[in-house]
Amino acid sequence: MLIEQLINGLTLGSIYAIVALGFTLVFGVLGIINMAHGEIFMFGAFIGVMITAMFDAPLWVAFGASILITAILGFFLETFALRPLRNKPGVSHLAPLISTIGVSIFLENLSHHLFGSGNKPFEAPFAQVSFQVGSITVYLVQIVIFVISIILMVALSIWLGKTKAGKALRATAENLETASLLGVDTKRIITMTVIIASAIGGIAGILVGMAFNSVNPQMGLSMGLKGLAIIILGGMGNVRGAMAGGLILGLAETFVVVYGDSGYKDAIAFLAIIVILLIRPQGLFGKKITT
Amino acid sequence: MVLEVKKACKNFGGLAAVSDVSFSIRKGEIFGLIGPNGAGKTTMFNLITSMFPLTTGEIVFQGDNINGLKPNKITEKGICRTFQNIRLFPLMSAEENVMVGVHSRSKSGVLSSVFRTKSQRKEEAAIRKRAKELLEFVGLDDFADITAENLAYGQQRRLEIARAMASDPQLLLLDEPAAGMNETETSELFQLIKKIQTLGITVLLIEHDMPLVMNLCDRIAVLNFGKKIAEGTPEEIQNNPAVIEAYLGSEEEEEYA
Amino acid sequence: MLAELFNPYYLQIGCFILINIILALSVYVPLSTGQLSLASAGFMGLGAYTSALLTIHFDLPILVGIIAGTLIAGLIGILIGLPTLRLQGVYLAIVTLGFGEVIRVVFINWESLTNGSVGISGIPHIGREILKTLKGFGFNPQSMGLQNNQFIFLSIFVLLLIIAIFLVWFFRRQHYSRVGRAYAAIKLDEKAAESMGINITYYKVLAFTQGALLAGFAGSIYAHVLAYISPADFSYHRAVDILVFTVFGGSEVIWGPVFGAIFLTFLPEVLRFISEYRYMIYGLMIIILMAVRPQGLIDVNIINWIKSKKRSKRGVTHGSGSEKSM
Repeated sequence: MLIEQLINGLTLGSIYAIVALGFTLVFGVLGIINMAHGEIFMFGAFIGVMITAMFDAPLWVAFGASILITAILGFFLETFALRPLRNKPGVSHLAPLISTIGVSIFLENLSHHLFGSGNKPFEAPFAQVSFQVGSITVYLVQIVIFVISIILMVALSIWLGKTKAGKALRATAENLETASLLGVDTKRIITMTVIIASAIGGIAGILVGMAFNSVNPQMGLSMGLKGLAIIILGGMGNVRGAMAGGLILGLAETFVVVYGDSGYKDAIAFLAIIVILLIRPQGLFGKKITT
Repeated sequence: MVLEVKKACKNFGGLAAVSDVSFSIRKGEIFGLIGPNGAGKTTMFNLITSMFPLTTGEIVFQGDNINGLKPNKITEKGICRTFQNIRLFPLMSAEENVMVGVHSRSKSGVLSSVFRTKSQRKEEAAIRKRAKELLEFVGLDDFADITAENLAYGQQRRLEIARAMASDPQLLLLDEPAAGMNETETSELFQLIKKIQTLGITVLLIEHDMPLVMNLCDRIAVLNFGKKIAEGTPEEIQNNPAVIEAYLGSEEEEEYA
Repeated sequence: MLAELFNPYYLQIGCFILINIILALSVYVPLSTGQLSLASAGFMGLGAYTSALLTIHFDLPILVGIIAGTLIAGLIGILIGLPTLRLQGVYLAIVTLGFGEVIRVVFINWESLTNGSVGISGIPHIGREILKTLKGFGFNPQSMGLQNNQFIFLSIFVLLLIIAIFLVWFFRRQHYSRVGRAYAAIKLDEKAAESMGINITYYKVLAFTQGALLAGFAGSIYAHVLAYISPADFSYHRAVDILVFTVFGGSEVIWGPVFGAIFLTFLPEVLRFISEYRYMIYGLMIIILMAVRPQGLIDVNIINWIKSKKRSKRGVTHGSGSEKSM
């Protein structure tokens, strides 16, 4: 029982971590809370549903399509909602926040038109496959989700730490002006960051669809709010912090459902950050993009 | 003594920005605080105005220990300052900036302000009058309605002095008031600080303009690497070998940098 | 004739506009000290539930309920405002957003008190209470040529209009005073403000609490105008709506949030003929506005321009002091 819950918690937590990664990358580089990230994530989930349900395509095609669409959404977000506000005199730090809220309102209502407002089932082909290890039941879906999340996190860490583009991204996050003086094309890096963050959101969307077997236009909001809580928990702009914060939240929620009152599950994230911010405002793991 | 700094120490992390500095300022004098860049002068100001807490030591103002008071309480006690990198309220008019300075010497709250009680109206008129007087005092009476960010650099420096004086300080701290000023402006500033002295206000001055410091100050303390290396009259300081050493040394370093 | 003029539907929109103005002010006031609070929906919910429960279960007069709802929100505002003071910018925004979510989750789960996500219905209605009281004095709305429900909405509208005008007047006067200067100074440069003798803790908590009081008050009124509330009324969407009123209209001057609330409450009604797309248009408008005019539609320059127009129309030139008085 305990181990099963632990597995549930880790599965949920690894999804949270992936969602939070998208927030933290954008915050690390741009210093902006991207309120539209939840909706981009939701779009990714719906694209996955459409591809698998309508065209009966295999899962990897769904991932590919979802990544493509969310990457395009990320590009639009950067081009139309973020870039026009950058380096403009007299723009308060509120403006990009509001602008991304505008994008989130637009996308949420667009999805009502495109996908309908109800729940859509998301059947992974291997949804019912499970293993029995002693008295413990493990579903293949859980393993797939966990493995994909881990691969994604490791790949991102390596990319940020070892590749030229990743290093340029970190330099930009550290200090935009210095990076641009050192010859980093910061405009390109910023666009790339928003696109990558959005594509990661798309992947997370499919993972959530598989985990909960259902997709709806409101899921962007609830997941988005949790993602925000996690990046505060893990330290704004901190990649490892986002991963750890996601896992902690996933485990905490699972155990509250098991041993406490499930109704308060959704409040845990925010109670945690309220406490964290009062004790350790820089988050559990400090700031900035590190590997 | 207006102000006594006793063995003040300030560490940032492991680095000592100010260590074991003591000096006293007499009532009514102009006291200079000089030293090469990074010597800890501005840190000293931040310690006196409680923007940073002291690591160890003591600061006594008119007989009261003021350690650990909040910056706004320090202003209420009668110490007010200007900033090295001008910190006016950029979108407010010159007059409003000075009116904010009167804050600690006025007391209207929300309700008396909204319902404009008799005492509030009287106070508001007095604040406005005081602001006009001070703008005139620093020579900005023609610029009362100009927003602070649209004033010339030298005017902004003088506006900061007016704003600080609006709190009726016993001790006025000026952090590099002549920085960025041309010769005419500097000589006007000289007159202004002298005029402030005649009002009975004690002045503590950080300044790099040596002719100004030497002509203006009654006494001077010299900081280098967070330590006090000399104190005395301008003549004594000018002939002090340790001071000459500190300044020449730092100039060489600057040339290499 | 009056009957056609006072269409209950229009009057109801009018009431919502006025409530939204109060809510927009609840973001504007903390923001005038530089604090971005997204807690207004939460405080609104606290006010609404407090007042609704008190009037239903203890049969208290609506006025008492509204006062209690407002004060509870203000009290919680002080409790939240004190520890969150040291948080800056986006951190404060997220924590206050989180506070709202916690409040909403409590409303959903504390079923014995709040009836859970179903919500509370049968809350005493201000308009009906006014009508009942007036009828007690022998008044009959027909004598004014009005139907009962026209009179009900008209009375609420007039009441709210008076309150809204009072509040704008209140905060405008506060703005042009020692308190308002302290707020502005803190917004522009906290450290410099503190060095000039301003107790920033006091004024930041004061502004945050004023925001909470406003939101709690608006929430209490909301409960007694709709007669039905549920946790969904005080969700993230409400928090964002309120924030957008203020930022869209402009947060530099008090007329910004007022205009934003009026315009953005009307807009979905006007766009009703393309109702399916109206929220998409709403989203697009926000994006475009931020790109073109990030300070909001109404700013200091516009206000000065309107003032100079007025002045030249009257053909009188005033001293600079005149604009400071109301």
